[in-house]
Amino acid sequence: MPFNPLQEKGIPLEEQIRNWRELNVEPFDPDTVHPYTRCRVITMNGIEMESILFSHNFARHTNDTELRRQLALSRYVESQQQRVVNWLLPGWSSVLETTIAYEQVATDLTSWVARNEPDPYLRQAYEFGVLEDFDHLYRYSNLYEMIEHRKAEKIVDELTEVMPGRPTKVEHRHPFDNVRENYDKEAAAPISKLHQLTITAAEQQTLNFYANVGPQYMEPIARQLYQEIALIEEEHVTHYESLLDGDQTWLEQLLLHEYNECYLYYSFMEQEVDPKIKRVWETHLAMEIGQLQAAADLLRRYEDRDPAELLPAEVPNVLLFEPNKQFLRDLLATQMDLTTLGTGYVREQHERFVKMQERLHGGEQPPSERVVAVHEERFGGDYRSEQEGPHPVEAFRQHAEARA
Amino acid sequence: MTATAKRTMPYGVMPAADVVDLLLQQHGRIRDLMTEVMGGSGDQRRAAFRQLVRLLSVHEAAEEEVVHPVARRHAAAGDSIVADRLQEEHDAKELLEQLDGMDPDAPDFLPLFLRLRDAVITHAVSEQRYEFNNLRHKASPAELAGMRLLVQAAEKVAPTHPHAGVESATANIVIGTPTAIIDRARDAIRAARERLPRSGG
Ligand SMILES: [Fe+2]
Ligand SMILES: [Fe+2]
Ligand SMILES: [Fe+2]
Ligand SMILES: [Fe+2]
Ligand SMILES: [Fe+2]
Ligand SMILES: [Fe+2]
Repeated sequence: MPFNPLQEKGIPLEEQIRNWRELNVEPFDPDTVHPYTRCRVITMNGIEMESILFSHNFARHTNDTELRRQLALSRYVESQQQRVVNWLLPGWSSVLETTIAYEQVATDLTSWVARNEPDPYLRQAYEFGVLEDFDHLYRYSNLYEMIEHRKAEKIVDELTEVMPGRPTKVEHRHPFDNVRENYDKEAAAPISKLHQLTITAAEQQTLNFYANVGPQYMEPIARQLYQEIALIEEEHVTHYESLLDGDQTWLEQLLLHEYNECYLYYSFMEQEVDPKIKRVWETHLAMEIGQLQAAADLLRRYEDRDPAELLPAEVPNVLLFEPNKQFLRDLLATQMDLTTLGTGYVREQHERFVKMQERLHGGEQPPSERVVAVHEERFGGDYRSEQEGPHPVEAFRQHAEARA
Repeated sequence: MTATAKRTMPYGVMPAADVVDLLLQQHGRIRDLMTEVMGGSGDQRRAAFRQLVRLLSVHEAAEEEVVHPVARRHAAAGDSIVADRLQEEHDAKELLEQLDGMDPDAPDFLPLFLRLRDAVITHAVSEQRYEFNNLRHKASPAELAGMRLLVQAAEKVAPTHPHAGVESATANIVIGTPTAIIDRARDAIRAARERLPRSGG
């Protein structure tokens, strides 16, 4: 049966405000949770944070008091949704464990989006970016074993492999080269717009998280690695946000945000294995339907436009968290040495790239290289979790001694 | 093993593996053994639980003898922080002893075990946040190294990675109850302390 959130019966905004008891959710158990349940929690936290930040920015671009009131109300319930979703994370987990889960999200979410993106230019943007977060997963996993003495496979399980991606060291590009061309709002498929919103939100949350928690560590290498990777996440937000057609009005973008939340809660509800968390997704879906309809009313009222014309007639194929091992290995084999020049992709180390690298690295090895070097020194090799054979690129295979 | 090599880094020093590294490793292992006990049944659960009893007893004994006294000196409000940790260890030890006398496949084992797990992991995370962080910051490298030796001495009392086949009834008799293991670990720590050139704690 086709599901169209614009037609469904949602909860009116006023009725969405929850009390303390309803907000006081029980966190999941970090040692028995399904890794993809944790990924869904992290994803939806990023999506809710985006809805809040977007709404605040919208409110700063209008003087209409009535509109600001409507935004304030929906933003308040979005805030409660964020508090519920992110409070599913357990206090037992360390910052680094959550970080590793963030990179698992970036790896498997971006892979799925790349595989399902109909537009080749947009797909290339996701394929390009995913190899970088895949490398972050490897760097943080080495740090984790070094300072917390536990293996990352305890967190990601064998759903996601851990091995070098495009080395973080060469991910530092000149900011000009991080700006892509935007999709065309008239021509782009609705699903392309949703993908762009989802990945941008996830990357923005990752950036904010690393930039805030990095200094909580005492170990110099940990502090430095967070600093470095948080800078790459800045590049990722720039890269993905520039895919957006910025000519869409604020209200049009609000509508897309709400629709995307419906789409994602619907997707996650369908696949959730944890019954308690499934109920959260169900409740939030019902809320988002109400929020979408409120946004649709605003669009009719202020712009005299029909929201149905901007949205798909039925919800697209559900977005899935699932292993992407072969997909990633194919990308590793073919796209590791790519970089960007202007809005396109090249293999050469062009002048602007080289200059940027020289300026930033200042003749030293960056933290992302040193973390692996120190790990090798201490443990006799780097940390990896490879289930499907050695690294697809010969130069990135582990030394025989390290595997022993 | 390059654990003692000190690596100078451009923006600071990556310290050599110290007593905190060892304790963190034990915390990780305790956590994983608990997941094994929860997930397994029969002999598998029994074996995991035996390992857990040994490791947890040795670990908590070492913390009481070696870590908490030093943390008390170094942490702000060290007395009250350590008092909280000691209370938690005391409560956990009671649960552990109760469980030790039970059949791991009995219906009331798992609910009680889940209480132990909750108490122990929460306790370990509190140690990491309120004690270990301070310890690393304020204790001297020599003090940390001495403490590491003492914790290692305790660890030898009850090896937690038995080779296949060694796990037998005799091993259990030799090792005994949590209280017996704790006593032996304490003795080992005290003996090792005598051998240290200068007291490590
Ligand atoms: Fe929301
Ligand atoms: Fe990343
Ligand atoms: Fe990223
Ligand atoms: Fe919403
Ligand atoms: Fe303890
Ligand atoms: Fe402990």
